[in-house]
Amino acid sequence: MAATGAPLLVVVPLAWFWYASLVPSTYSVMDMGYADYGGGPGSSGSSHAGHDMSGVSVAELTGPQDGTPAMTATLTTRQGTVKLAGGERVDGYTLNGSSPGPRLVATEGDLVEITLVNANVQGGVTLHWHGIDVPNAEDGVAGVTQDAVPAGGQHVYRFVLPHAGTYWYHSHQVSHEQVRHGLFGTFVVEPHDSIGRPAPATDVVAAVHTYDGIRTVNGRAGLSRVEAEPGSTARVRVVNTDNGTAPIWVSGAAYRVAAVDGYDVNGPSLVRGRKLMLAAGGRADLELVVPGGGARVDVGGAAMVLGPPGARVRAAPEPSKELDLLTYGQAGHLPFDPDQAVRRFDYDIGRRPGFLDGRPGFWWTINGHMFPDIPMYVVDEGDIVRMTIKNSSGDLHPMHLHGHHAVVLSRNGAQATGSPWWIDSLLVEDGETYEIAFVADNPGIWMDHCHNLPHAAEGLLAHLAYNGVSEPFQVGRAVGEAHNHPE
Amino acid sequence: MRGAYRVIAYLIALGVLSQAAAVAGGWFGTINEIDDGTVITEDYEGNLGHAMHWIVGMNIMPLLGLILFIIAFFVKLPGAVKWAGFTFLAIIVQIALAFISFGVPAIGALHGINAFVVLGLALYTARSVASGVAPEPVHGTGTPAAV
Repeated sequence: MAATGAPLLVVVPLAWFWYASLVPSTYSVMDMGYADYGGGPGSSGSSHAGHDMSGVSVAELTGPQDGTPAMTATLTTRQGTVKLAGGERVDGYTLNGSSPGPRLVATEGDLVEITLVNANVQGGVTLHWHGIDVPNAEDGVAGVTQDAVPAGGQHVYRFVLPHAGTYWYHSHQVSHEQVRHGLFGTFVVEPHDSIGRPAPATDVVAAVHTYDGIRTVNGRAGLSRVEAEPGSTARVRVVNTDNGTAPIWVSGAAYRVAAVDGYDVNGPSLVRGRKLMLAAGGRADLELVVPGGGARVDVGGAAMVLGPPGARVRAAPEPSKELDLLTYGQAGHLPFDPDQAVRRFDYDIGRRPGFLDGRPGFWWTINGHMFPDIPMYVVDEGDIVRMTIKNSSGDLHPMHLHGHHAVVLSRNGAQATGSPWWIDSLLVEDGETYEIAFVADNPGIWMDHCHNLPHAAEGLLAHLAYNGVSEPFQVGRAVGEAHNHPE
Repeated sequence: MRGAYRVIAYLIALGVLSQAAAVAGGWFGTINEIDDGTVITEDYEGNLGHAMHWIVGMNIMPLLGLILFIIAFFVKLPGAVKWAGFTFLAIIVQIALAFISFGVPAIGALHGINAFVVLGLALYTARSVASGVAPEPVHGTGTPAAV
């Protein structure tokens, strides 16, 4: 008996942990984990029912259904071979035949209508407007805000552009696979009052992406060249579409960081000899005056040269010093008072051994819990919310909150003293603690996850849910051959 | 049962060799890819060597260790459970060291050294049943008794 009993002491608990970790093939994100009210209404007392699911459905939280759009676009996704700008061919996904997909340009306040057509992507696709705080039903997250669009299907997104800036779009269906292999593009929203502010003579996007080990800017490996008049001002909108942090530095000129994650920096000073570490999913608009010999923007493994035709700019080595956005620029006014916060959430990122949906490994934890037993951050519309993101997981995480921009209050206890630092994608390194604040002004159910997308697929993914919003969609549900898998 | 015990223990030893080969081949492959222009970032997915090291290390090795440990209870030789237990433990430690090393790369040196511990324990465990008696280490010399 002892011989059979002892191994059971090992096998039975292991089998139990394995079994308990299994995630149903189809589930609503509202059934995952536990509600976290952040000390606000609903924390205690009668609300054992938890989040109030009565009321408006996510599917009803659309943009305007009437009105003539100022910009329309049709984006057709295909799976197959991607031909990069330099002629290299890789397996992946295209939008209208190319990767990156078409650059969308519109003006702040515009109503836009974008039709997603899925030509042949068997796993299904969606489009998420990264950094654009669209109404919830337009957010493009499979299984949370819509069903994945199966091959042969289409979906129309309609929304008003709330804020000028540099953004991007990408699939949020099997995103760790589809984005890596090219299903993305950039989206520039111009200010409607640009008459008052002189637009830079040169205004370009530099989308950083790595295809099968080929580091590119706008799909071009190595050096990209942009003709720019010496003495004129150039704006380079760097978009990090990769899963890793991109070091950005400039050779031949000093630069200013004019905007971060689509929001202008207040009083940006000139930067020399420092690099900006750009979070995965994040954007930074650099401004510089083009020198006679040109300037070079390096993104780590690829670069863009701006200047007169044939300009050759010697690349400076990657600076060891980093530009710290916590103290960069001039302090400014916040449109809300973070001290009036009614909810204070913790988002503690750790790591521990265990089973994730039956797979053994060392998996990410949120507040000590492993997916799917993770917090659902519950808010009411109008709440001022503070969130403390603490990373003790041994790895760095670019944290992306959908549907909202948050302002950074402090890092490791040091208060932010520079320009209001608005983010939608915040790099939180191992051992760091950031405190951020935002206004819950966009009802819905929103993902709040790591934008190192394989990490999200490994369970580093939570949601922010508004009271009174119900979830009609389900993760895992099939539409044709496409099963909703947002990660 | 002793035959199975011995075979599994040898498979674990073989696994260590295959892991060393896979990771060395993987990184030499990477160096070669860099020469061909590949840029290594967080988005680098590695090559066959890295994939093998991951799959064997995260799945096959702990599974073999667990099976060895379970079988040990039925071998009915003194020391069988103990040495199988040590082998299983060394495999778990090896995986833990790997994950700690992603955050603290210096610990990676211990991951390399502990591979020899797993190898030594697996061979010792296998040979202990080959002799029909699980040998106890000879006290005072610090080395296992020759069999």
